[in-house]
Amino acid sequence: MGKLVLYRLGFALPQLLVVSVIVFSLTYLVPGSPAAAILGISATPESIAQVEAQLGLDRPAPERFVEWFGGLLHGDLGTAYRSGLPVTDMLAQRLPATLSMIFGGLLVAIVVGVGVGVITGTRPGTTTDRVLTGGTVFGIAIPEFWLGMILTTVFAAWLGWLPIVGWVPFSENPLLWARGLILPSLTLGLTGGAIIARQTRAAMVKSLASPYTDTLAAAGVPRWKILYRYGVKNAMVPVLAATGVTFAIMIGVSFVIEKVFSFPGLGSLMLTSVIGQDFPLVQGVVLLTATLVIAVNLLIDIGYGLINPQARPA
Amino acid sequence: MTVSTVGPAAATTPAAKQAAGPRQAWRRLRHQPLTLAAILTVALIVVIAVFAPVLAPYAPDDTDFSNVLSGPTAAHPLGTDDLGHDVLSQLIFAARTALLVAGGSVLVAMLIGVPFGLILGYKGGWYDRLGSRVMDLADAFPGIMIGFVVIAILGRGVWILIFAIGLIFSMNFGRMVRAITLAERKKLYVESAHVSGLRNRQIIFGQVLPNLAGPLAVQAAVFLGNAIKVEAALSFLALGLPDDQPSWGGMLRTAAEHQVDHPLMALPPGIAIVVTVLAFNLLGDGINDALSGARSTRKARKASRKAARLAASTLAEVEQARLDAEAREQVPSTRDDAPVPVASSVATREALVTTAAHPEPVLSVRGVSIVADRPDGEVVPLVSDVSLTVGRGEVLGLLGESGSGKSMLAKSILGLLPPGVRVDSGSVTLAGDELVGRDERGMRAIRGKKLGVVFQNPQANLSPVHTVGHQLVDPLRVHHGMSKAAARDRAAELLDMVGVKDAAGRLSQYPYQFSGGMAQRVAIAIALAGEPDVLILDEATSALDVTTQSQVLDLVLDLRESLGMAVVNITHDLGVAAESCDRVAILYHGELLEVNDVFSLFENPHHPYTAALLAAHPTADREVDRLPTLADFVTADGEWIVR
Repeated sequence: MGKLVLYRLGFALPQLLVVSVIVFSLTYLVPGSPAAAILGISATPESIAQVEAQLGLDRPAPERFVEWFGGLLHGDLGTAYRSGLPVTDMLAQRLPATLSMIFGGLLVAIVVGVGVGVITGTRPGTTTDRVLTGGTVFGIAIPEFWLGMILTTVFAAWLGWLPIVGWVPFSENPLLWARGLILPSLTLGLTGGAIIARQTRAAMVKSLASPYTDTLAAAGVPRWKILYRYGVKNAMVPVLAATGVTFAIMIGVSFVIEKVFSFPGLGSLMLTSVIGQDFPLVQGVVLLTATLVIAVNLLIDIGYGLINPQARPA
Repeated sequence: MTVSTVGPAAATTPAAKQAAGPRQAWRRLRHQPLTLAAILTVALIVVIAVFAPVLAPYAPDDTDFSNVLSGPTAAHPLGTDDLGHDVLSQLIFAARTALLVAGGSVLVAMLIGVPFGLILGYKGGWYDRLGSRVMDLADAFPGIMIGFVVIAILGRGVWILIFAIGLIFSMNFGRMVRAITLAERKKLYVESAHVSGLRNRQIIFGQVLPNLAGPLAVQAAVFLGNAIKVEAALSFLALGLPDDQPSWGGMLRTAAEHQVDHPLMALPPGIAIVVTVLAFNLLGDGINDALSGARSTRKARKASRKAARLAASTLAEVEQARLDAEAREQVPSTRDDAPVPVASSVATREALVTTAAHPEPVLSVRGVSIVADRPDGEVVPLVSDVSLTVGRGEVLGLLGESGSGKSMLAKSILGLLPPGVRVDSGSVTLAGDELVGRDERGMRAIRGKKLGVVFQNPQANLSPVHTVGHQLVDPLRVHHGMSKAAARDRAAELLDMVGVKDAAGRLSQYPYQFSGGMAQRVAIAIALAGEPDVLILDEATSALDVTTQSQVLDLVLDLRESLGMAVVNITHDLGVAAESCDRVAILYHGELLEVNDVFSLFENPHHPYTAALLAAHPTADREVDRLPTLADFVTADGEWIVR
């Protein structure tokens, strides 16, 4: 177990390093100077040079990278161009809403996805299978933010069951926090669940068609036991992979649906910094989400190793 | 040594066999109603987009300030937005934007991804390792984040949006192209092209690209749908297209601003997106099905539902049997070399089966016929009217080519026939109990307890993610109601009995840690857990090397002695039959030709097919220049012929 974790970390850490280099070099891809973007139409060559010096943009790239990376290791991501606040603080303030939403979404996606996948995968070709699998096709085609709009209209505006503006910090009131998360989680989770359901179904069908099911059935092990004890565990490997992919997709989607649910998450921060070309903030958000994705994939890889003995390091 | 080989590859690659050319795929496509509907929908959207100026009642920038945010009226069937734009016209013009951006971005994604994947897949080595790392890295960024960053750097605009979305999907194309190129590269014809002196580039573009066309079409269709979703999301966030360009996402942004007082505004653009994305996704699925040859007719679904069972591992064998059956029908009845019909098939069988039945038959098969119901309603006979008995302590060999129906016969005894295959008539009795027609519960009382079975592929026979102990303990607990600890002790005993050393220690190991022979011993132990009266070996030693094969057969013979069980050994290998069986039954095209004790059969075969089979078997003491081959022995009217 410890060996497995170390082995996987050996993959994840270099990945993080390269990601940070890519994120750092983003500013160099901008045509023109970020200083010009900050100053807008009032920019003069002198004022641009002044701002560049102020932000340290005039120093050579390697020097800036070392400084930036050193700060990164201490949790310092620099200062936002516009607000002048530390990027780390701004991110920390927005992270809870985004993480809550993704947590809820993953929960819905896994419960719905694995549930539907197992139900359809164990009875391929039946009416139940066709109806539910048809549903997953819809689930993948529906734009999440539109689904969110429809859900708020129906459940918040028309039925009045849930508040329209949902975010309440957990520390303030856990119950209201959970209540506010219901609609965003459903929105995020239904499409993610559709992806997981399709994977689970395919994996179940494949797993249950393997010869070992015949061996066990021929030895007298009951079908339900083969199904749930052997079939599901065998199917879990591709399902875990689908969950990893879903997580990455969900972060992106959460950025979009934040707007629908007026959630104060990373998405709206990203939006304003993209429009304002506030690169320290853009870098911060990208680095943070990439780190989250890599971390979750690390967990999933470890999960792989736990399920599938062959994926463990020798 | 073997009549024909039944490799695991034959059973695992039915899809490859069915992969179809474009013409065949198109023919299949026409029989998929859902795909046709998707094609029509896409065509309709394209027509709407192209003829938008003609179809739309208003220009996209026409404003009607006296009528803002109106509901549906005669002048504006879908109402107007907050600037008095006609919603229907906006919707129609937005279809242009959606198709332009989606088409453009998929083109960009292919332009980046396809060459990238081709290079990685073809060059291999360091190119591949480095490139694959780049693709893994791209996975760390949620797709839309790449879009955000590109827009942050380059700003807003149609071309920037197309580039951003294209970049998001480019790695997906790269990954797919790499995988396919890698597979194609390994194929023989690329190697032979090398030999014939074609240059690398010619090989890639001349031979690999046509093979990519199908999968690329599938991916392109699916990503067209995805691109529309991403475009809508970015436009919804006001990061996509400029505000004056009508887009479904932009319309939804307006709708979101007026969600409380005008909730229905969200419907038209949302439905437009869903329909378009759905059409592209279904088109992709449809092309995929058509290319891979997946049949999903109503009848096929019905058949599998009726079967309502899990096992489908031997469909390839059914297919083989069907091909054989077809081949049998196609044998011309008139031949120049004037074959001599010896007798009708029924008479032959009656004459040649020496029913020297064992004094105490434990398993009797009487007149069993097995048929496969094909999706198109045709009923294909797999096994016809076979009768056999196996006595206590006897080893009966069931010998035949692949497709002769021998495995189907074994599966019918166990009630484990794959979906769509059934026992049509006849009876199977085990110690007096009828087995045919039992339901799942009834069969379970028999399986393991009275009948054990070991299948061919040693590794696939065991669940790869469970320990060997786990898989032994389950049947033990089922049969003997043992506690976990007691079952584990007994499992160790069983493993020890089948000759696995350090049995107790190996219980916690996984199947991949066992060699083929050892894994097969484990499978035997699982089959013996319920102390069965009859053990069926279904090509159980075919995948093993000769030495291991002998060892496993010796083990079975020893176990037969010590446990007094009967053994049915199904094989295509004459050597295995000679080495392990008391009596041998010859099966050909689903018919039983001859049953005889092993010495008489090898010394003095009754049936011409048996004789030919033996003649085709090379032995050390008989040197031949060329092995005789077996021609088809059956005429169109089911008569046996001798040449």
